[in-house]
Amino acid sequence: MNSFRESMQQVLQETAGSIYPLLTDLASQAANTYTLVARWLFPLLSLVILVRCLVPLIRERSTDTVWGYLVLANGTSIPVRNWENLIGRGKYADIVVNFPVISRSHAVLTFRNGSWTIADLGSKGGITVNDVKVDKAQEIQFGDVISLAGIDMALVPPVQNEALVPTGAAGNSGDTDEEKDFTLNSTVTLMLLFLFQVLAVVQLFASRASMTLAALPVFGIFFLTELFHYFIMRKLQSKSIELEILVYFLCGLNLALVASAAPSDLKKQLAAILIGIAAYTVITWLCLDLGRARRLKYLALVGGVLLLILNLAFGERIYGARNWINLGFITFQPLEFVKIAFVLAGTATLDRLLTTRNMTAFIAFTGACIITLALIRDFGTAVVFFGAFLVIAFMYSGDLRTLFLVTAGAAFAGIAVVTFMPYIAMRFAAWGKVWQYADSSGFQQTRTMIAAASGGLFGVGSGNGYLKNIAAADTDLVFGILCEEWGMLVALCVVLVIVFFVFYAVLLTKNSRSAFYAIAACGAATIFLLQTALNVLGSVDVLPLTGVTIPFISNGGSSMVASWGLLAMIRSAV
Amino acid sequence: MKLLAIRTLVLIVLALLFLAGFTVFVGRYLHSAAAWAQHPSNRHFYQNGRLKETGTIYDRRGEILLETKDGVLTYHPEENIRTAIMHVTGDQDGNVASGMLKVMWEHLTGWNLLTGAYRYQDSLSATNDLTLTLDARLSALAYRELNGRKGAVGIYNYRTGEIICMTSSPSFDPQNPPDIQADPERYKGVYLNRLLSAAYTPGSIFKVVTAAAALETIPGIEERYYHCSGKILIGADTVTCLVPHGDVMLKDALAHSCNVAFAEIAGELGADVLQHYAELAGFNSRLTVNGIKTAAGRVDVKQAAPVELAWAGIGQYTNTANPLAFMVFMGSIANDGLSVSPAIIARENIFPALAKAEKRMLPEETAKKLKRMLRNNTLTVYGEHRFSGLELCAKSGTAEVGEGKEPHAWFAGFLDREDFPYAFVVVIENGCTGSRTAAAVAASVLHAAVDRYQ
Ligand SMILES: [Zn+2]
Repeated sequence: MNSFRESMQQVLQETAGSIYPLLTDLASQAANTYTLVARWLFPLLSLVILVRCLVPLIRERSTDTVWGYLVLANGTSIPVRNWENLIGRGKYADIVVNFPVISRSHAVLTFRNGSWTIADLGSKGGITVNDVKVDKAQEIQFGDVISLAGIDMALVPPVQNEALVPTGAAGNSGDTDEEKDFTLNSTVTLMLLFLFQVLAVVQLFASRASMTLAALPVFGIFFLTELFHYFIMRKLQSKSIELEILVYFLCGLNLALVASAAPSDLKKQLAAILIGIAAYTVITWLCLDLGRARRLKYLALVGGVLLLILNLAFGERIYGARNWINLGFITFQPLEFVKIAFVLAGTATLDRLLTTRNMTAFIAFTGACIITLALIRDFGTAVVFFGAFLVIAFMYSGDLRTLFLVTAGAAFAGIAVVTFMPYIAMRFAAWGKVWQYADSSGFQQTRTMIAAASGGLFGVGSGNGYLKNIAAADTDLVFGILCEEWGMLVALCVVLVIVFFVFYAVLLTKNSRSAFYAIAACGAATIFLLQTALNVLGSVDVLPLTGVTIPFISNGGSSMVASWGLLAMIRSAV
Repeated sequence: MKLLAIRTLVLIVLALLFLAGFTVFVGRYLHSAAAWAQHPSNRHFYQNGRLKETGTIYDRRGEILLETKDGVLTYHPEENIRTAIMHVTGDQDGNVASGMLKVMWEHLTGWNLLTGAYRYQDSLSATNDLTLTLDARLSALAYRELNGRKGAVGIYNYRTGEIICMTSSPSFDPQNPPDIQADPERYKGVYLNRLLSAAYTPGSIFKVVTAAAALETIPGIEERYYHCSGKILIGADTVTCLVPHGDVMLKDALAHSCNVAFAEIAGELGADVLQHYAELAGFNSRLTVNGIKTAAGRVDVKQAAPVELAWAGIGQYTNTANPLAFMVFMGSIANDGLSVSPAIIARENIFPALAKAEKRMLPEETAKKLKRMLRNNTLTVYGEHRFSGLELCAKSGTAEVGEGKEPHAWFAGFLDREDFPYAFVVVIENGCTGSRTAAAVAASVLHAAVDRYQ
């Protein structure tokens, strides 16, 4: 019996005492019947929404904009599709010029601030522009004679009479039929999502959970925000916005989980979503321009270091790790925001990446993060940072051997830590045999598995679970609540959305305007992936339980805002 | 950007690793979700570690053995009945592994992989009920006849496989569980259904197996005489009888349980043949009764010395027998060599309803010869007056257990009646002479069984 129903009953009792038992019976019958039907609709709608979002995102990725052509002396004309292009003989070059005198990676052709630059990658043959030798890099004009190791070529503007001002926001949505279909499709998807979320709210009121009417405005504001944000996005850009719809889907589940597990946090969580969307919009806007984005990187680095120091100095322990800061009127987890700084710290443009190969600042920042995390004993997040470091470092260097060495080194360090600090090893002692310690060190994992088994494929209905009564279940064990109340199919959809973010970031890399965006997107996606992996697999004892959040799903304001911030990194790469 | 695109492979590898880990979880989920859901901390089903609700369990006569009444698990109103079949229903704390509350947990609680713990209107339906083949009152009688001695009684229909009587002692009242720890001797192995999950030294009842092997493999065995002087020297050891039996034929040797004759026969058969026929009779394998695996009886004479083989042939040595499995072997003799797999749950209750499974244990001819010999046992030794009208065919056993303890008493056999095709087994731990104590229990319970279904 929920308190909403109770208050309804009270009203009824006062007005019509005689028919009251009949009415409550009817109400309970209706609630039960509602759950019976709705629990089948949720997985179905989830799957439909998922498919309707993934298909356009995968299809759209190649924009095929041509910024210019590189014309060779023999008349061959090679389209220039990126802002940053590797020229060389090798098969990974964006512009393949197949002459033996040309090096595998010979030069980088970069568009920046309205002009093109060519940079030498230490090639054997060297570069001249209008017969003047290029030392490192040289700005070029259309029509200049560029000579790579004696092979002459020239950059010419694109054939269409199109102003060569790539800004990222290429005007409003067009008038073609195809684009109208496009808009219509995504609007239909959004409406399906609304249906899903409205059904979810009704389900919460039909459940055992003590829902109060105070929850209604929260969901109301959330719906309006989704709608408002959607149409703003629609207006501002022509690209498909299914990425945002997927995240609305996750946020809707987040609110439902919070409403069920920690109703008093509902307003705070809504505020976090609103701040998250605002942060997302600002960061996306800042990143539109590469110059701005690079300045943002340095700002974020400074901010990140400050947050680390702040955490070390004033950090408080609330659950597990000492990673909270209390400002009196608000508590937050600074390390969540360091993730954004971390990803930005790892970015670099292709010319930088191929000429200087200097990762000192990034390595130093990573080191600072991981040492801080070790000091406050947040090992899960340390693994997330380390994994993201590996991915970014490999995109930087392409050196598989170093990658293995670093991983092996970290593994040894991990083993050393566990060997010499037995109290840390204790934490992981139950791993792989949690059922033997079902009521002690395996408590959380076994309860998660019990909840998953109780949910079946369709769940017992949002609000009807029991796992939520365990401490920190709505963060560390949120996958269990998802399985119990929403069922394995919806939980699987959530996992697939996160995995899709990774594949999407990889797809974006190929046509990305700059390596800066590609690295940022991949870094952000890695953090999403690793957090989800550690949370999901940790809570069901496939990996040791470390206590990290699932982005957009776990209860937590800082995590929600930071996740939106990281999403902006992926969006910027589109 | 091609260069970077190639380098994102690391990210793809990480994603695939995650999916692989997730697949491991899904695999474990499919395999173990039922066990996870049964954990007593699962509040969908349990309150303070005890089941909140279960479907109703009926016996073959429609008596309610277990139901949920006003939110409380309620056993049969009569204490002697709920105690006698406690091992069949299972206790509230889930200690009896072979009880219906454990074995049929999914059926009784409505949990399944697809819909989990969800139940429409939070309540169970008639589909969660269960009807057993068991006659609870007959089982209660059998339990009373055991009279506090440890042991088990089973009766089953050797044509249909239905188990109509099953009881195991010691037991306790599952409605009001006693403090088991307070009396460890009395409650030794109390959670074990001794009919299903125990294996005892068989003693002379094993001679039926040796006789079956002899009928099959030794030509003219039925006309031969063996001389019993009361003892026989094999190697440096002797096998003895209580009294010298003189010149005996196979049927006399079986009726009077002549150790000397069967020691000689075992020697003639040899280890391999005896092993082979013991395994045909169900030794060294486990039966499955509606998903409950029984304990396996053991016969291993491959490495046995001659005297050990002799002891094995008369049911000693390292031999053990599971009471239910031996009852099924007896049933196969009654049923012309075909054994019917035993069941405790009424067939229409389970989905998919399995057809009764038959297995040939003995050739028809051998089964008929054994049946005549077992009938002869009753007529010449056990006394037809004790089993009047039952057409009883049986073999007793008095299994030496050493350590200065009284031997286990066995009595196993069947009724050679078309209207009451019942095979049975009685085993009483340290119950002394099988033909007296165990046979008395059998007589009383079998008479009651026939009377109840006349
Ligand atoms: Zn003898």
